Amino acid sequence: MIELEDVWKIFGTDEQAVLAEARRSVPDDAVLKRLRAVIGVGGASLSVEKGELVCLMGLSGSGKSTLVRLINRLLEPSAGKVRIDGGDILSLGPRALRELRSRRIGMVFQSHALLAHLSVRDNVALPLEIRGVARTRREDRADELLVRVGLDGLGDRRVAALSGGMQQRVGLARALAADPDILLMDEPFSALDPLIRHDLQTQFMALSRDLGKTTVFVTHDVDEAFRIADRVVLMRAGRIVQTGTAADLVAQPADDYVRRFVQNARLPARAQDPIVKARAIA
Amino acid sequence: MSDHTARDEAIDRFAAINSTYYRRAFRRIGERRGYVPSLNIAAAVLGPVWLAGRRLWSAFWPFLVADLLAVVLIAFALGGGASAGQSARADRLETLAATRLLEAKTANDRDAGTPIAKSLTRSAAALEQAAKDARQAAEDARTGAWLVALLGTGMLAASRLVAGGLANHIAERRFRAWRLEGDAGKAGFSHLHAAGAAALLAIFVPIVFLHFNDRTLFDAFPSDPAWNSGAAAWLDRFIAAISSAVSPAAGTLTKAINGMLGVMEGILTQTPWPVVMAIILAIAWQLAGFRVFLLTFVAISYLAILGYWEKSMQTVALLGTAALISIAIGIPLGVLCGYNRRVAAIVRPLLDFMQTMPAFVYLIPVIALFGIGKPSGIIATIIFGIPPVVRLTALGIASVPASVREAAVAFGASRTFILFKVDLPTAAPSIMAGVSQTILMCLSMVVIAALIGAKGLGEDVLHALQYAAQGQGLLAGLAILLCAIVLDRVVQGRRVQ
Repeated sequence: MIELEDVWKIFGTDEQAVLAEARRSVPDDAVLKRLRAVIGVGGASLSVEKGELVCLMGLSGSGKSTLVRLINRLLEPSAGKVRIDGGDILSLGPRALRELRSRRIGMVFQSHALLAHLSVRDNVALPLEIRGVARTRREDRADELLVRVGLDGLGDRRVAALSGGMQQRVGLARALAADPDILLMDEPFSALDPLIRHDLQTQFMALSRDLGKTTVFVTHDVDEAFRIADRVVLMRAGRIVQTGTAADLVAQPADDYVRRFVQNARLPARAQDPIVKARAIA
Repeated sequence: MSDHTARDEAIDRFAAINSTYYRRAFRRIGERRGYVPSLNIAAAVLGPVWLAGRRLWSAFWPFLVADLLAVVLIAFALGGGASAGQSARADRLETLAATRLLEAKTANDRDAGTPIAKSLTRSAAALEQAAKDARQAAEDARTGAWLVALLGTGMLAASRLVAGGLANHIAERRFRAWRLEGDAGKAGFSHLHAAGAAALLAIFVPIVFLHFNDRTLFDAFPSDPAWNSGAAAWLDRFIAAISSAVSPAAGTLTKAINGMLGVMEGILTQTPWPVVMAIILAIAWQLAGFRVFLLTFVAISYLAILGYWEKSMQTVALLGTAALISIAIGIPLGVLCGYNRRVAAIVRPLLDFMQTMPAFVYLIPVIALFGIGKPSGIIATIIFGIPPVVRLTALGIASVPASVREAAVAFGASRTFILFKVDLPTAAPSIMAGVSQTILMCLSMVVIAALIGAKGLGEDVLHALQYAAQGQGLLAGLAILLCAIVLDRVVQGRRVQ
């Protein structure tokens, strides 16, 4: 279970001064310009249940990619609490943090972020190599995952020889390699063309149901969010505007912005499915 | 239409004064393609002063220079042009002729017909003729001076005409750029800048005229030679102090370098030549394939047949040592520069300095510290050879995609893991290019290293230079070239093919 409690991330030279200012009132652009600061995430609170798939949704610059990086401390929060299964991750030392990242959290990036000089198999096995797993064991595990994401037999290829969709499958396999219980996905399918994106979404939903990983999935695509998410978190200018199921957002939008954001979205049948709803509420 | 008014309003703000004129002028320019004749009288009259007032700096400087050049020509002509020198010479010759004539007369009066009196008379006549010639030359130069004056005036007029004809076009271009800049862009006519330009002219024009009136005034910069010698003496003391301070360390360093060089030379020159040749050929084949193997074979044959074998192995040992040290220092330094922008900001000018400073300049302190001989040659070679590997390593490290590094961090990688498993492999092509550049740079130093006592092929080139032995020089030079090509190809490996 992931819990974020009043988490802030401010980019700038004097984080604390801006933070004090921002806590008093929402600072306007002129003030931020003067302080040369940007509020990446402003006072976000969120909890993700075990096995739940939550989508962070918003326009570019709304802070969703920043927020997801606060969960594994790729970015250091300026204020607030981040807990995983009740354990405060902000108090972890460097070694414990590396341990947490390598054992419990897998991450997928929009730009694949694969290592061009390694084979597909070695890329998938990277998290295990970081953890110090012996070569044969990590290669076996990588091959197993390549089968799982539909790339069986491609382990010996060079990464550059693969198409964009295949590269993203490699990224997904890599995130699963260490068998983490949390998956962070930062716009994994945004750069792909629509057909491949749809295929990967389908495949990912099946995989995620099988594996039951707690997942935070970042996207700017409403349809994608509504299709795959148990719950959707809509962000705007660093702040969380509304949290709820797809049906909630459509039926009871918190404000006009949410209404405009979701008005053209396709609401999949799944959103009305009582089982899914029950799971989301639980 | 509304767009037109918005544009006109913008022109009003941009021009500030005389805006109706600029509205019309800019519209005329915008309505047709290509050059539309449009003469700006103010610009034509004021020239650089107008350009400065309108802040058109890229046009201001060339037109200022054109004005000053024209003024120099005019002042030169008014100051008598080349005739000044000729008249002075004529004056000198005339006084000399007069005194000589006087001497001849007294000699004749005393004793007419003596050889001395005769030669004095002849000399006086010759001087008189020379003076007349000089006078004539001065006269010619004076008419020439009018031509120069005419040229200068014409140049001034032409420059102003061009300025006037281009002014509206330049201003219009600036106007379009200014509209993009928004609030940040400055508009209107700056009297301050115009005054500054006028002041520049007011300072330089009189200086030019004064100079051609009295050439002694601005003949040379009033520098005292004592300043130069004083600074040099201070540096002498500084270098002496440093070399005595670090001489123990320098001694150790010399010994270490000598040791390394000894090992390299031992391997390359003490081992029987068939073994060394076979190993080199095998390495070439293994690392770079058959074509490089053939090239290496040809190169080795050339070196061996023309008797350069031992010398070339000495050279390779020397530059190999230098290159190894360069790489051993350069890659870590480059990595540091790639990670830390502040370190890079300090190191980069140093590298520029090391590459640009002529080798002969830093040879002096290197010799002062390490004495004459191979270690000095190696150190000079390192100074020249190390920059490429540092630069290209830094470039390679800095261009590792941030996302790849972030991914490694997200999976719990430590800094060491990222350096050795992510950054260095990703930067490897760039680093290898740096290594090969460094080796070539090192090789290009062999002749200079020979100058301070390093043996090898450079010595032969040096000898050829001293005795103007063209054939010898070419043969030895070709030997150096072959060594360089083979080393480069072998180090580059298979990637090049």
